[in-house]
Amino acid sequence: MRKAGWAALVFLAAAVGLGFLTLPVVALFTRVPPGELVRLLGNPVVRDAIVVSLKTTLIAQVLILLFGTPLAYLLATRRFPGRQVLVTLVELPLVLPPAVAGIGLLAALGRFGLLGSTLDAFGLRIGFTQTAVVLAVAFVAGPFYVRTAIASFEGVDPNLVAASRTLGAGPARTFFRVALPLAGSGLAAGEALAFARGLGEFGATIMFAGSLQGVTQTLPLAIYAQFEADFDVAVAMGALLVVVSFALLLSLKLVFGWQPSQRTSHSVFARTS
Amino acid sequence: MKTVAAAAVIVIVLASGGVASGSSKATVSVYAAASLTDAFPKIAPGAKYSFAGSNTLAAQIRLGAPADVFASANMTLPEQLYKDKRCSKPVVFTRNRLTVIVPKSNPANINSVYDLRKHGIRLVIAGPTVPVGSYTLQVLRNMNLTGVLANVVSRETDVREVLAKIALGEGDAGFVYSTDAKTVPGKVRTLKIPAWAQPKVQYGICVVSASSNKAAARAFVKRVIGPAGQKILVRYGFLPRVKPKAPH
Repeated sequence: MRKAGWAALVFLAAAVGLGFLTLPVVALFTRVPPGELVRLLGNPVVRDAIVVSLKTTLIAQVLILLFGTPLAYLLATRRFPGRQVLVTLVELPLVLPPAVAGIGLLAALGRFGLLGSTLDAFGLRIGFTQTAVVLAVAFVAGPFYVRTAIASFEGVDPNLVAASRTLGAGPARTFFRVALPLAGSGLAAGEALAFARGLGEFGATIMFAGSLQGVTQTLPLAIYAQFEADFDVAVAMGALLVVVSFALLLSLKLVFGWQPSQRTSHSVFARTS
Repeated sequence: MKTVAAAAVIVIVLASGGVASGSSKATVSVYAAASLTDAFPKIAPGAKYSFAGSNTLAAQIRLGAPADVFASANMTLPEQLYKDKRCSKPVVFTRNRLTVIVPKSNPANINSVYDLRKHGIRLVIAGPTVPVGSYTLQVLRNMNLTGVLANVVSRETDVREVLAKIALGEGDAGFVYSTDAKTVPGKVRTLKIPAWAQPKVQYGICVVSASSNKAAARAFVKRVIGPAGQKILVRYGFLPRVKPKAPH
């Protein structure tokens, strides 16, 4: 009896949680007939926003993988004083309000910022360019990848790495042939999160890069701009972003076999968080 | 679908139980144009304010935002709300002028409105649906300068965002109200727009129809239109709501 009551309670709480998290998403689609989504692709504002969003997010992801992976690997495999502080610093953008991220980027890379004046001297102008969008996305989304990547590298059995080294493989070969494949599914999971977060980035972008159609206006910025101009177009764009994000997350899960069954069978792959 | 909706209702009820209900009877909730950010709290310090682009505020009111008063940087938006029976008949409560601002250091060496034609300068304006954005387009049309739109690097969501981008030195020049330029005198330099090119910048105020606080809302409007409110607005550089008669 108490068991049944407990089960009902858990079920009810789960239903409330599920309902709350899915209702706004479902509501988007009740306002947009499916045909509208297709028609929307003909709207130049929407098309430009999709192109800008995909381009900047993809470039940002390349940067995140290129610089985030070594960073995560070192932080996962080395022990040194102050490591926890460093890891916390790297994770900080996760919890910073995007507005703070925007101000920070302006203070660092703005025209009169810490590095900005030096960059300006080299003729590198970041403000109001797609570079600014890429940097804002990389800053805000990067920690999602790095954080997961640290945990994945930490989950790699050090005995396997040691075995690889004693069998004569150099550190680079060991990294590419042992550590990277073993951490792979965790890295993919982190990358999927970073990609999705990057697509949704808004606050830091609008502060640091501004908003101009075809240049810096990403989908979220276009949604905001359309909110008061044409609410239905804004809703439709929102639905579009939901479809893209959902497809992205789901396909990454399917492709990389990011399922609980595998998690329990191969403990090495399991530590993704 | 129904279960989902019911579940969401439960969460909302729980959430609102934890937070003290925001609408206390006495305080009036004022949705006002971003350019009024400094002046309005001086007129009525007790009111609650939401400052943003007037267009954004109008959209929020249409979606049921709990506003009592809507103070817009143009007459078009409140008149549209009035036509749709969402607010009372708007009245003009102040007027303003547009100005061009450049960062104090003036990195692009812009010394007149016509210098905005310089190739490759970073011009920041507000979006076309924001009142100040549409006034900006009017000025450029009046001065036959629409070509400078090629220099626009960002279309911001309200006038204070334009101001911030120029005050920071990120942009080379921007269009704002003269009252906004006055709020950061140490950071920006203003370039005058000739009187003949000025658009008719009239601010409209109305009481939101859905307000449950209409008496307080009307009192607020009265205060803004009255001598006390007008005095404060003029002190912040706004123009009196009625144009003084030309002396001739």
